[in-house]
Amino acid sequence: MCYVVCREIEINAVVVSPTSQHLLEIDERCSYPQCTVCLMYCPAEGSIVETDTGRSMVPPPPAVWAENKRWPRQP
Amino acid sequence: MHPILTDFIDKWVYPTGFSGPGVDFRLRQTERCLPLWDKLVAQAIQSAENDLASGSNEYKAARARGGYAAEGPFMSLKQMSTQILSVEIGEQPKYIDLQRMRARQIWDEVKHGQLHADVLLRGGFIKREEELMDDARANTQPKLSYFGLTAMFPHIHPLARAGQHYYNESMACLGIASTLSVIDDELIRHQLHSQSAEELMHFMEGKYQIDAYALTPEDQKPIEEVFDFLLRPWAPEPSRALGGTA
Repeated sequence: MCYVVCREIEINAVVVSPTSQHLLEIDERCSYPQCTVCLMYCPAEGSIVETDTGRSMVPPPPAVWAENKRWPRQP
Repeated sequence: MHPILTDFIDKWVYPTGFSGPGVDFRLRQTERCLPLWDKLVAQAIQSAENDLASGSNEYKAARARGGYAAEGPFMSLKQMSTQILSVEIGEQPKYIDLQRMRARQIWDEVKHGQLHADVLLRGGFIKREEELMDDARANTQPKLSYFGLTAMFPHIHPLARAGQHYYNESMACLGIASTLSVIDDELIRHQLHSQSAEELMHFMEGKYQIDAYALTPEDQKPIEEVFDFLLRPWAPEPSRALGGTA
């Protein structure tokens, strides 16, 4: 889901690793923590972990879905 | 509100990555869902407690047969597979991500059918899965459902089924969490744990479809009509929708 959402907002920072395990990787285009839109749509608990602190970002902690961090969608 | 529902909505319903009319629309529909979600939790807990109090193992088979009917070959392969049809070839570039998620869900549902068969096999209720093909209890389910309608009406709006993803798949998540809070049987718990994250993904697909794509009244209307259909409290089963009282 994080891969799908990142595509939809045209950042495309989440990519599928070419390894046989097909891991999801994040490249330099990821602007976290300015953009946190992927966190709300990846439903596997503990699947996204903040490197610096080790805390799980899924489900999203309140700090990452504050109003000013939402991705604007208009028709 | 039951704590199981509170936990679910705090973790998965209200955290929102997008802003805009899709989110606003979803939160309005969420208000309509909350009373029924709460009722579902209470009913699932009561049902699980009744099962434990029955003093028999039959409840395990009854649950698995019901699950096989709802997620086995008939529903999973014949009905769920039609959800791909609501996106026409010309719209495929726009909705390719939804098509991938829907294709994944078809496999999830097939796997869930296998899990229910596994409960019946490992529980000693049947010797071979083929026995279920001759058992009406494992092949009929009376609940209102929207997914299968694309078999008859492939021109349904490509976003319409987001209503069913959001409403029914949340019910699956809540039902699983509620049942796990009561039943300690390892066979049942394995089956529930194994499909739990997948049900959550199906719900999140509905949430994502609405938040990211349902931005105009034209795209919201068919989704709202699905909620209208699914939220009819007087018609939990087709027989009542058609005027019966059973």
